Amino acid sequence: MDFNLSSEQNILKEAAHKLLAKECTSEFVRKMAEDENGYSPALWEKMAELGWMSLLVPESYGGSGVNFFDLSLILTEMGYYAMPGPFFATVILGGIPVLEAGSEKQKADILGELAVGKRLLTLALNEQDGTYSPKGINLSAVLKEGQYILNGKKLFVQDAHVADTIICAARTDRFKSGEPEGISLFIVDADKPGLVIEPLDTMAGDKQFEVAFNSVAISEDNILGEPGKAWPVIEKVMLMAAVAKCAEMKGGARKVMDLAIPYVKGRQQFGRVVGTFQAVQHHCANMLTLADTINFMTDQAAWKIDTGLSFEKEAAMCKAWVSDSYRTLVGLGHQIIGGLGFMEEYDLQLYFKRAREAVMMFGSADFHRELVAREIGL
Amino acid sequence: MDFEFSKEENELLAEVRAFLKKETTPKLLEETAKLGLIYGGPLGREFIHKFAANGWLTLNWPEEHGGLGKSAMLNFAVREEMAYARVPLIFVAAHMAGPTIMHFGSEEMKKEWLTPIARGEVEFALGYTEPQAGSDLSAIEILAEDRGDHFLLNGQKTFNTHSHVADYHWLAAITDPDAKRYHGMSMMIVDLKSPGITIRPLITMAGWQTNEVFYDDVIVPKKALVGEKNQGFYYLMAALDYERMFPLAAYQVVYDRVVEYAKETMVEGRPLSKNLLVRQKLAQLAIAFEANKLLYYRLAFILDSGQIPNYQSSMQKLFATETAQQVANTCMEVLGLYGQLKKGSKWAALEGEVEHLCRTSVVETIYAGTSEVQRNIIAQRGLKLPAK
Repeated sequence: MDFNLSSEQNILKEAAHKLLAKECTSEFVRKMAEDENGYSPALWEKMAELGWMSLLVPESYGGSGVNFFDLSLILTEMGYYAMPGPFFATVILGGIPVLEAGSEKQKADILGELAVGKRLLTLALNEQDGTYSPKGINLSAVLKEGQYILNGKKLFVQDAHVADTIICAARTDRFKSGEPEGISLFIVDADKPGLVIEPLDTMAGDKQFEVAFNSVAISEDNILGEPGKAWPVIEKVMLMAAVAKCAEMKGGARKVMDLAIPYVKGRQQFGRVVGTFQAVQHHCANMLTLADTINFMTDQAAWKIDTGLSFEKEAAMCKAWVSDSYRTLVGLGHQIIGGLGFMEEYDLQLYFKRAREAVMMFGSADFHRELVAREIGL
Repeated sequence: MDFEFSKEENELLAEVRAFLKKETTPKLLEETAKLGLIYGGPLGREFIHKFAANGWLTLNWPEEHGGLGKSAMLNFAVREEMAYARVPLIFVAAHMAGPTIMHFGSEEMKKEWLTPIARGEVEFALGYTEPQAGSDLSAIEILAEDRGDHFLLNGQKTFNTHSHVADYHWLAAITDPDAKRYHGMSMMIVDLKSPGITIRPLITMAGWQTNEVFYDDVIVPKKALVGEKNQGFYYLMAALDYERMFPLAAYQVVYDRVVEYAKETMVEGRPLSKNLLVRQKLAQLAIAFEANKLLYYRLAFILDSGQIPNYQSSMQKLFATETAQQVANTCMEVLGLYGQLKKGSKWAALEGEVEHLCRTSVVETIYAGTSEVQRNIIAQRGLKLPAK
């Protein structure tokens, strides 16, 4: 076993930390929550120059083909700075399905542009059920004269307003309603007639949308992978997205520690520093224990993904553990920082809100515990 | 990063596993369970002599002292295997006293003790706690008066768990009563057969024996002193840092049995394991075991990097022992009313193992530093929060 990062990984991490410290201040984060686009194209370009979008893209498609673990280090720094914008939607939610299921031509078309930051993507998966189950996929895709006609509504679609391409999960076989069979993924140009995008107002000010498909016609060539066989791809993408979200939470956890611990070392009450009170110290000790286990569970899952072996168990354990632990850690942060942490102008709220969203995304702790139960043969 | 054992490590672990499978007898398991996993019973000694002949008891020690010169990682992994096999697991000589002697003892002392310890030929009992000195070990009072060529000991220890089966007492005593706190304590190795020592049993709610040990004008030769006089508190604290590790596999075994039980037991026409709440709870424990595993092997990794774990040991102790109690409680819940039945009772599930585990788990968060003390250490050393 080796619990250390390589020197290259340390350099990557430091570079991300440095750039975001400068460019992604909490004023910027607040501004982007109000901004219609929700991201800065200038910062996007800088990230592209550093090759962040290319980390998962193989060299043959113009990427750097590094690995998931290294990407997770970048996501951790983004989590630390609560970075807004379409990076996660583009690289994880849009990029991975193309990598996993795309034809040579689709990969060449999409991934090459993705790697240099020229194509923004997202994934339209959830519908009204709000679940991560095949039962929840009912948007219909009916084949008619060489074209699929898509009808239905997608919810919680991240950054759909700026995406060039929306990967959409639809049911191509209506006779298999509710089953994993019969679900397909489509590559949809965001400017297709019949697409209607409406913003949802989210807790953290991140950009999520309802995307209505009103008889949107997609050519057969734009199906991603084998028709009707997309569910295993979606499951894999969701697990990887869950681990990626944990990497963000890992960064958030570190930031909350960086807010809370110096605070209790400086704040005085009853004539002494509050960090000397055992009740406060024990909260802090619990926070560090949560932070350390969040780190290890995330690192292990990200590492496992890169081994090429099955990673369901590690990923599900990771998302269940990190979701619960991060929420608890932020709660303890609020408790020890007191009234100040409740103020909108103080940064802790940024992390509280993101934590509440992150724990639900790509499966809650309960959802992932159920996966673990299956993995251990229950 | 890498979260797997190396090929070499896996090979040795497979050997250890095969040995444990072959050599473990029901009688040994019974004796070990009765002693609360401590080393020192007759069957345990017989077993450990064979086990230690491979160098496995102290495999991270240098070869000259009876070890194999292997990694701490491997040593940690072997201890998990021993815990899972439920053979003697708690060694004072091999895991606490030995490393202290190696770091701080004279050459003569190393020669005298280390090889016999590595072979499992001698066992020590931990002699720290006194009635007025529990979490605060600096408050011990047992006095070792310097009488020129020997020490004369008077006083009392309590909760000394190994004393009735061990050969020697690994004793913390006051050698300078006038010194400032922490500066008047020494460590010594006392023959438990010395005249003037009386051992009185205390029986725990787990059915295990611990002891009060009384010293009445006990003569201890000078050569029994470990390292330097009055440096004992420092040695004791250092030993805690590099030897504090808590294998959790003794709980994992019972958990695994409960998982099987849940699969096989029909309740209301379906296996218990199909009950959503049972699934959630058992899955949560599997996840906690995983998190503990990572905290546990981090300690080994730190040691193998040539450093000494600090707050990380406290964190693993805290996490493992609190998880242990969750395991006991959850297993009890899964068994329901059957969980309360003791070994030997009509209708007892899993031979009453869960009932016993539930009782034993109480002490986990208390001995070797309570959870509260561990949290203080994590806050003060890990986060540098001020003590005052």
